[in-house]
Amino acid sequence: MKKFSLLAPGFLVLTLAACSEETGDGAAAEADSLQTSDWEEVSGAATGQEVNMYMWGGNDNINRYLDEWVAPRLKEEHDVELNRVPMNDSQDIINQLVDEKSAGKTKGSMDIIWINGENFKAAKDNELLWGDFSGQLPNFNDYVDAEAPEIATDFGEPVDGLEAPWGKAQFVFVHDENKSEDPPKSMAELAEWVQDNPGQFTYPALPDFTGSAFIRHVLYETTGGYEQYQQPAADIEDLEARLEPMWQYLNRIEPYLWREGETYPESLAKQDQLFASGEIGMTMSYDPALAASEVLKGRFPESTRTFVLVGGTLANTHFLSIPFNSSAKAGAMVAINKMMSPEAQTAKLSPENWGDLSALDLEKLSPEQQQAMNDVDLGAATLPLEELEQHRLPELSADYIEIIEKGWMENVAKD
Amino acid sequence: MTKTRPFLKSILFTLLFILIGLPFIPLILSSVSFGWQWPNILPESFSFRAWEYVLLGSSGTWQAVSVSLLIAFIVTAVNILLAVPAANALVRYPLRGKWLLEAMLFAPIVIPPFVAVMGIHLTFLRLGLTETVFGVVLAHLSPTLPYMVRAVMISYNTLSIDWEDQARMLGAGSLSRFRHVVLPHLLPGIAAGASLSILISLSQYLITFIIGSGQVVTLPILLFPFISGGDPAIASAYSLLFAGIAILTLIGMDAALKKYYQNKKAGAENG
Repeated sequence: MKKFSLLAPGFLVLTLAACSEETGDGAAAEADSLQTSDWEEVSGAATGQEVNMYMWGGNDNINRYLDEWVAPRLKEEHDVELNRVPMNDSQDIINQLVDEKSAGKTKGSMDIIWINGENFKAAKDNELLWGDFSGQLPNFNDYVDAEAPEIATDFGEPVDGLEAPWGKAQFVFVHDENKSEDPPKSMAELAEWVQDNPGQFTYPALPDFTGSAFIRHVLYETTGGYEQYQQPAADIEDLEARLEPMWQYLNRIEPYLWREGETYPESLAKQDQLFASGEIGMTMSYDPALAASEVLKGRFPESTRTFVLVGGTLANTHFLSIPFNSSAKAGAMVAINKMMSPEAQTAKLSPENWGDLSALDLEKLSPEQQQAMNDVDLGAATLPLEELEQHRLPELSADYIEIIEKGWMENVAKD
Repeated sequence: MTKTRPFLKSILFTLLFILIGLPFIPLILSSVSFGWQWPNILPESFSFRAWEYVLLGSSGTWQAVSVSLLIAFIVTAVNILLAVPAANALVRYPLRGKWLLEAMLFAPIVIPPFVAVMGIHLTFLRLGLTETVFGVVLAHLSPTLPYMVRAVMISYNTLSIDWEDQARMLGAGSLSRFRHVVLPHLLPGIAAGASLSILISLSQYLITFIIGSGQVVTLPILLFPFISGGDPAIASAYSLLFAGIAILTLIGMDAALKKYYQNKKAGAENG
């Protein structure tokens, strides 16, 4: 009796564990031919597949666009079931895939992942992605300018067909027209604006994605343009001295920031909340139509407007990719192709659905398709597409971003 | 003296209500606000966008709620099966190195679950336990079992072995001794442990997320991206729903327990 009492829990766990299913491991050599076979075969193989799309799940508009616009059409037109899996952070996708790779899991459940920048680099370096597939997609071949730098590279990293472009983003500043009629047009003017409106400006503390992007604009404008940073960071010997004017700028505006710069909002979400409640007069976004969509939701005031700097703002592309161990690669290809179609991209552009810029080359679309895209009402808070287009700056590669984020801690946050 | 009691009672009740109920008011307001600018105390206008998204539409909330509850109840049932014999042994048998066993049992409370679950993940991956409800249930046992064992141990501490001996002398077999003597005495402890176990299981995010790998979607899995992503309206609506379900589950358990005692009492009076 005595022994049994102690052993009982152990027995139970063992019996329960024995009931669990075993993973089959014979399915490794599946369908690499999909990368070479023609599209008919791919869509034939996709029929009836269930595709799990792992993506950040914190925006109801984006979630709805996928659940209510994309998924039903995929089901109807291609008999592919799209199942959206909400993630809190794209970094988690990479961590999970790394574990699956080291455990030798060959039949994974991630079929489509939504990544870019650092996550793409990490996935590529760890060989977590399936392979060169984007050239197989008809909509990629027909409507995308594959040579354009923002399509061929992702934060300086060559894409190599491992991911297909889904949309574009561009950095914009967000302000309330009723409170500041004439927004600053350069970093120098912004410094004046901040001094004239103490407590009304701040930026999310690094390593927040958007806060970090804001600082890259300061870098470009205070140190003489982006061209010099197109080479690897290690090749610039006096990098520290070159970054100096950026730290000086940030320290100069610090006393006039929200709470005298003693603290910074820990995330863009917190900063947006400050703007929504009217505590600060300016926020920022790497999504040019987000402000319009927040106005529709009633979070930002009707008088919210966005603006870019005369010298331009950073732009990047976000991508869809297929992990190495996806169990439904054909289905994933069909789904990604569908999401890159002109209809899907036009629907995505509308702030009611999402407000994400199209990844397609407007000139490759038919006149009707172009018309449809131009007819989308972006909302008063969004800048016209041409104005955004004319003010695009390339992103910095990941090695600089790391240096800047560390440097901010030492040079700005600590004092 | 007797006159002041109801007065005192009502003051205490009001205070308690304010303490517990007040934090919910901003949550409710924020879940239906449409434009809420400083320095207004109340939102300018209202909208049910967040609730509509959470309760209707394609958000999968109800499925997540049923998965959450299913996991919480299985975890609790397994906990009871494990904790009763464990507590029995820990309280009643003079073991050498008992402190070590206890320390091991209670370690999950002290050690952050993240540390353990990262290691478990790889093992579970190899065993094919990730992405299954079963795997998530196993992983939920580690943060919940200690509370259950603790609660049942306290009940055992006040149960003298003499009572069982007496029943034995009257001819009761081991099963019937357990059913009629031990179990009724343990029940309050089991109920307390079960409430904790259900609440803790319901609120797990990280463990569910890592072991479930996105294929086991519970309420916290849906809720977390909205909290960190900064949609206060939807995050508030989800939080309220979460609190409501937790409270309803506890009330349900309480009612079931009360009913059990009533039946027991009635049975004792009749028999």
